[in-house]
Amino acid sequence: MLPLVRRRVFVAGVAALACLFAFEASKSPVAAETAPTAKLALNTPLSNASALASVPNADRKKMLMQYCTACHNDRLKTAGMSVVPLDADNLQANQAIWEKILRRVSLGEMPLRGAPRPPKEQLNDFTAWLAQSLDRQAAAKPDPGRATIRRMNRTEYANAVRDLLALDVDFAKEMPADDTGYGFDNIADVLTVSPTLMDRYITVAGKIGRMATGQASRKVITTDYKVPKDLFTNGFGVPSHNERASDDLPLDSRGGGAFKFYAPYDATYTIQVFLNANTSDESEIDARNRFEVTVPLKAGLRTIGASFPRNLALDELMVPKSLLGPREPAAAPVPIPLDVQVDGVRVRRLTVPSVATGPAVSQSFYLRDVMQISVVGPYDIKGPGDTPSRRKIFICRPSDTLPESTCAKRIFANLARRAYRRPVTQADIAPLMKIYDQSRKGADFDHGIEAGLEAVLVSPSFLFMHEKDPAKAAPGTVHRISDIELATRLSFFLWSSIPDDALLAVAQKNLLHKPAVLKAQVTRMLADPRSKALTQNFAGQWLYLRRLEYQKPDRRAHPDFDLRLRAAMQTETEMFFDGVVRENRSALDFLDSNYTYVNQRLAEHYGIPGVHGTSFRKVELDPALHRGGLLGQGSILTVTSYNNRTSVVLRGKWVLDNILAAPPPPPPPNVPTLNEGKNGKALTIRQQMDAHRANPVCASCHTKMDPLGFSLENYDAVGKWRTGYAGQLVDASAVLPDGTKFDGPSGLRGILLSRKDQFVEALTERLMTYALARGLESYDMPAVRAVRYRAVNDDYRMQSIILGIVQSIPFSMRKTPQT
Amino acid sequence: MMITRKAMGRRTLLRGMGTAMALPLLEAMIPGAKAAEEAAAARKRLQVIYVPNGMMMENWTPATAGEGYALSPTLKPLEPYREKFAVFSGLSHIQSEALGDGAGDHGRCCGGYLTATHVKKTEGADITAGVSMDQMVAKRFGELTQIPSLEVGLEPPSLVGSCDSGYSCAYTNTLSWSTATTPLPVTINPREVFERLFGDGDSLDAKSRLAQLRRQASILDFVAQDAKRLSRNIGASDKHKLDEYLQSVRDIEKRIQKVEQGGTSAVALPAYARPSGIPDSFEDHSHMMIDLQVLAMQADITRVSSFMIGREVSGRSYPEIGVPDAHHPLSHHGRDPEKIAKLTKINVLHMEQVAYYLKRMSETKEGEASLLDHTLVLAGASLSDPNDHDHRGLPTIVAGGLIKGNRHVIADKDTPMANLMLSLMDRLGVHEDSIGDSTGRLSGFAA
Repeated sequence: MLPLVRRRVFVAGVAALACLFAFEASKSPVAAETAPTAKLALNTPLSNASALASVPNADRKKMLMQYCTACHNDRLKTAGMSVVPLDADNLQANQAIWEKILRRVSLGEMPLRGAPRPPKEQLNDFTAWLAQSLDRQAAAKPDPGRATIRRMNRTEYANAVRDLLALDVDFAKEMPADDTGYGFDNIADVLTVSPTLMDRYITVAGKIGRMATGQASRKVITTDYKVPKDLFTNGFGVPSHNERASDDLPLDSRGGGAFKFYAPYDATYTIQVFLNANTSDESEIDARNRFEVTVPLKAGLRTIGASFPRNLALDELMVPKSLLGPREPAAAPVPIPLDVQVDGVRVRRLTVPSVATGPAVSQSFYLRDVMQISVVGPYDIKGPGDTPSRRKIFICRPSDTLPESTCAKRIFANLARRAYRRPVTQADIAPLMKIYDQSRKGADFDHGIEAGLEAVLVSPSFLFMHEKDPAKAAPGTVHRISDIELATRLSFFLWSSIPDDALLAVAQKNLLHKPAVLKAQVTRMLADPRSKALTQNFAGQWLYLRRLEYQKPDRRAHPDFDLRLRAAMQTETEMFFDGVVRENRSALDFLDSNYTYVNQRLAEHYGIPGVHGTSFRKVELDPALHRGGLLGQGSILTVTSYNNRTSVVLRGKWVLDNILAAPPPPPPPNVPTLNEGKNGKALTIRQQMDAHRANPVCASCHTKMDPLGFSLENYDAVGKWRTGYAGQLVDASAVLPDGTKFDGPSGLRGILLSRKDQFVEALTERLMTYALARGLESYDMPAVRAVRYRAVNDDYRMQSIILGIVQSIPFSMRKTPQT
Repeated sequence: MMITRKAMGRRTLLRGMGTAMALPLLEAMIPGAKAAEEAAAARKRLQVIYVPNGMMMENWTPATAGEGYALSPTLKPLEPYREKFAVFSGLSHIQSEALGDGAGDHGRCCGGYLTATHVKKTEGADITAGVSMDQMVAKRFGELTQIPSLEVGLEPPSLVGSCDSGYSCAYTNTLSWSTATTPLPVTINPREVFERLFGDGDSLDAKSRLAQLRRQASILDFVAQDAKRLSRNIGASDKHKLDEYLQSVRDIEKRIQKVEQGGTSAVALPAYARPSGIPDSFEDHSHMMIDLQVLAMQADITRVSSFMIGREVSGRSYPEIGVPDAHHPLSHHGRDPEKIAKLTKINVLHMEQVAYYLKRMSETKEGEASLLDHTLVLAGASLSDPNDHDHRGLPTIVAGGLIKGNRHVIADKDTPMANLMLSLMDRLGVHEDSIGDSTGRLSGFAA
């Protein structure tokens, strides 16, 4: 949605209401607002070109004058616009207004009901003509819009470090969160640099530099990993689960946890496992329940795990069914095995007591489980080891035949090319050598390299994506960006990271812009594991998935919601999105599908029989299960709910914002909220919302949001199917503003599928915003439509949309800014 | 759900931090002991504490005015410090009202809290507020300390969607603006704050800290040159971004110089373990962040700090005090008594954090007095009744030894909050002619 439009819509709404009273025909403002919106004319019949041409432009204008000037005249200027000065022969002059007209008329929102409107055929013909004319004009005079210098956000920074240095440590967590705009955290204009951030860049570059070159602290330090736990049960211990806790643990394991630990040296380390004490302080992590092994570890990223063998699950039967209060263990503890793993391989089987006993009150409600894993070390350092990072950095070693400075230059040239994403020159290397020389002085070669590496990681050439204009390019002129610049745009779009050698190589040969080469690269990049970034960063924000981690459903209302279920919901949607992208499926799968991805935990939540174990698999969906598409997924249904109840408004707004790109105007300022009734739940949500819609100011938007939300009321606040709640049956019937009746999620899916072109355009708008790292403007709309036409002709395939964006005018071109 | 709060939580937390790195070794970073005492006497500090989503005013506003007023239920946690703080009623941020911009009161009220400006409605392209009061002070005091100011908070910024209709999240992620277009986002991770204050070296002794800083200085030289080289090739609007970057580089260079000039005597700081990350519990997190701010003040690493207990439109729920509902929807209470009761519980919990700050500051000695005696604290929200997004009559307290406490001052209707801000800055010796929509100093402030 255009920011311009979004800002003014409410004003438009109010003014339109006022203006409508001018029509004697209007019965009430509410009736006026229930304008027909269902039938869309978005699917421009391009084949109609000849028919279109037969209508003179003067008649187009005549139509506007006849049906629009009651409100949009020079005097009233409803919604800030008048159609009177518009020239149908010269759309360029008022391009933004024409785009707005196209959008509102296509959506069926204009002219308002109650006002006279032209016959449907004439309207469709008009929108087809307008879209085609605007598109033709854009093609003749491309406007790629503004592209400003852009700082990497923290996710991109961490990914770039991973790809540059083969160092797969989540450094994003070390950086402050980035500001967002237009729904994404990669928006160039919003990403500022503060002293706090600069301070972090320097500190974190030091950590990375030392770690990657094998010069981390030699001091013994303790690294803790707290195993994620469900909420404590308030004096009854920490729940354990009869499940494999992580993909990094053995298949026949139960409980425990695993984490990535970066061993700074080839050395000896002590792995400490803290078990639950189950005392009256459930969060207690104490030495009495600490068990440890000392093992040698190779330098680099290690997976450290601790778990129990699965056959101990039998003991779960001993857990009492009712929790009547703290209780001493019924019997003395028995010895049970606890396995410690490194990189998935058991390094030691420890024997631990089955329950904790001690001076504090101990309980036996839950099985033993792991609260925390710590690694203490390094001891007896053997050396920096042969890590992937050191191999990647030290591409040469000084020798009798290779002087140190020559080798250093070679190393920096290699690093800087990847980090700066372009060929490097002597001017890039000389200052790095200066830093190298300073540090080399009181230390060794590796320290010198490390200092230079730190400098690269803080330099603006690394941190900022910037593009050059051709020499003497006049401000406002347009040019195709260089292949090198295209490589960076492409890799940050698809990978949220720097280009790899293969991409840089074709770019340096100036081949990347060739359509066949570009397509091959896009295909290759989407198949690469790094394209998971598109799921995590684009889908994570488009679908609000990132919010799931912070969603804390009320355990009293949803006792079966736990960390495992939450993780499963997240995985389902990620796999679903990832599958549509990589398998090049239809984007319409997002609206409805006969498959999804579940493990046992999630299958039980959905009532899907026959799925066992913690691994995910693709399952075919029976329509009776009421799942399929994004709107049947627990993740989406949970993030659009409050912690203790569903929200018709949040869900309705989510659909309008993210699926239809038709966001409702924001609520007017200072409208008092409704009194939801003395008894909260006794007054159903539906009754409350009915009251809401009785107020014409509220109704103007809620008639659009509420029906979409109501149709999903069969899903509770964690996405579980329900037929009733609070003693009442769920009523999932709904009526659209145009009077179309539908019922439940399947009804909603039908409605959405009937607007599939609108959805594809909405998806394209979101994806293009993300790809361009800026908000879309009216002059971008022809590019959005071009992507849609292309997708429609290719069965709505996801890669068509992605490739369409990559080849679009705003993505491949640049306008020289005004100075 | 009843959850008993346990003293244990804190201990566990400290244990969980792993490497207990005691902190008493800050020699080079603090002026010599004697000089320190003298300097401390003249030291003045500013602390801002902000709570989101307004306040249940009927439980906040004391019934009586003047000295010896009766404390309201929400202010109860502050009772032990009543001599140390004053309540101000009736102050308003009229610039935060819609003024034709429609919805987005939360975005405006946060951006306007310390700037007293009507922030520009934009999702991103041209973010504009004003220089915030804390930054006006930081520009002055920043010359005297390593870090001009700290900006910390407890809640991650909104991860998806917009923060408030039509307003970029930049407006709700901070109170502090060093220029009208440069927001200074808050840090929520205690470890990042710790490393900013004390570095991330193996040991915190002065020598290795200094060595680390010197090395950083040579890297900063390099990056400054790189930035200048880059800026030759780019347009004016892009230059602005690089200027921001260069300004940040200079800030850190200045700091390094400060440390190098520092004395050699130690001021004993309490042992404080290096935090490992963000604690799960709200209160543990809050206390840790407060402890770090007190440490920063004590070590005189900065004299200006702002602390956001939550973000506007915060959806945080507080099951530990019997409020499983999300804060923001509750704040639109619609006069429902149950919602009002829950909202008040959240307000009280937030005031308990202010009380904890006052406790820590008053317990920490500085010369003959306490840190609190040399500090000016502004605490409050940028909405009064959240149900109506009311920008008038904001809940405000001012605390510390630089003002006269134990009184409830009622300002004339619609007095700009900015007037109080000018008066506060006067107390700190930072005299400005105006800020935002100020119309003068706050009458009745001096008492």
